[in-house]
Amino acid sequence: MSKVAMLIDASQCMACRGCQVACKQWNDLAGWSYSKTVNRGSYENPPHLSPQTWTRIKFVEYEGGERFQWLFLKEGCMHCTQAACVDVCPTHALKHHPLGFVTFEKELCNGCGYCTQFCPFDIPRLEANRLSGQAKASKCTFCQDRATNGLIPACVKTCPAGALSWGEREEMIAKGRARVEVLKNGRGFLNANLYGETELGGLGRLYVLTERPSAYGLPEKPQYPALTTVWQDIVQPLGEIAIGATAVGLLINFLIARRNIKVEEG
Amino acid sequence: MERKEKPILFFTTTQRFVHWLHVVAFILLLVTGMVLYVPQLHPFAVGSAGQASRLLHRIGVILLAAVPLIYIVFDPRQFARSMKEIFTWSSDDLGWLKAAPAYYFLGDEKAMPPQGKFNTGQKLFYLTVVVALVVFGVTGFVMWFGKGVVPVGLFQWSVFLHDLAAIATAAFFLVHFMLSVMHPLMKGSLESMLFGWISEEYVKSHHRKWYEEVMRSKESE
Repeated sequence: MSKVAMLIDASQCMACRGCQVACKQWNDLAGWSYSKTVNRGSYENPPHLSPQTWTRIKFVEYEGGERFQWLFLKEGCMHCTQAACVDVCPTHALKHHPLGFVTFEKELCNGCGYCTQFCPFDIPRLEANRLSGQAKASKCTFCQDRATNGLIPACVKTCPAGALSWGEREEMIAKGRARVEVLKNGRGFLNANLYGETELGGLGRLYVLTERPSAYGLPEKPQYPALTTVWQDIVQPLGEIAIGATAVGLLINFLIARRNIKVEEG
Repeated sequence: MERKEKPILFFTTTQRFVHWLHVVAFILLLVTGMVLYVPQLHPFAVGSAGQASRLLHRIGVILLAAVPLIYIVFDPRQFARSMKEIFTWSSDDLGWLKAAPAYYFLGDEKAMPPQGKFNTGQKLFYLTVVVALVVFGVTGFVMWFGKGVVPVGLFQWSVFLHDLAAIATAAFFLVHFMLSVMHPLMKGSLESMLFGWISEEYVKSHHRKWYEEVMRSKESE
């Protein structure tokens, strides 16, 4: 199965937020119930991702370049190939799909929230009772129920600006590269770039950006948390061996000691 | 003058109570933590069973937190004594470590140096437990209340160290269980933790230094 990807052309996004609505509609997510919408000096709304908001358009007023730019970034799960969330999830609620994205099965989630703390992009959100610890995580799944049944994600389907595309990853990369060339050579966006091609083994979410990733608040070089490897691949297996070896050693000790003491007593 | 050997009080009521409370809390915490790592226990880690495990883990935390508090409040003298002892190390401890394998495997007692109320192995275990309690406490607090509040690096280190402390205490717990409950040379140690008393002969052979201390203080009375 060849991998699929979502290509997000930030240069074409007009921040209508149709994707936000389509996402909520398809995934049956509630509106912004946490507080009333408040004026924070920006058209951006809601203010951040939440357990009920898996994607949203981030508004950035960027003055770093030659001219003022209003940058729009469709936030959501990056579907990393090297996904720390999948590796730390103790319940396997988060899994890699052969199509190249990270699925989430809510009924398996025990609410530990490790995914929220190990994600290099700070994407998964936890709905939690802090005292009892009862919680559930959630994140964009690329509409796994649609994507695995031959449909395109709801946000892509709805995007009226044509900023979102969906298809085989290789095709999306080619399309993204071509668009970057147009932006660079024809439109004067000298910093235009394609984000996600190689980051963390390749992201399922590819961005055509008109400025450096950091201008959008994206990490220039996202890092897989090093401690994950030490914890999951070294300490945990060694610990299991150590506990097993202790048990076996004790059993041998018990048998030898019993035999020797019996011999002495007898 | 020949005097008759009498049982010696080894553990006070508070000590025995906090010990068994610690056992209950530790096993509850160990089991509800292990579900995340042992594939056979996976059904207890996922979904609503997983949520229940996490709630039980928090109840275990409250029980465990009570252990040092009760000990300090109700028996501060013994608490201070134990803390002092586990941080006091001498050449006898090195001798014990060298002689222990021959003793525990073969019952060869000749090279074993005299020991205090806790022998070197027990001190090592006690010390591990105290250090692990602090590690569990700090990292567990971060994991319970710090998620999304503290920097993610701190959270990640907390999860890591919590697991490391669990591995260390789980392995040492097996040793402790084996030596105190099952080992043929340690008859009487379980009774002492259940009822407090232990035979004078046992104390004389296993905890010589402490035995002499007790006898001296009895003479001076």
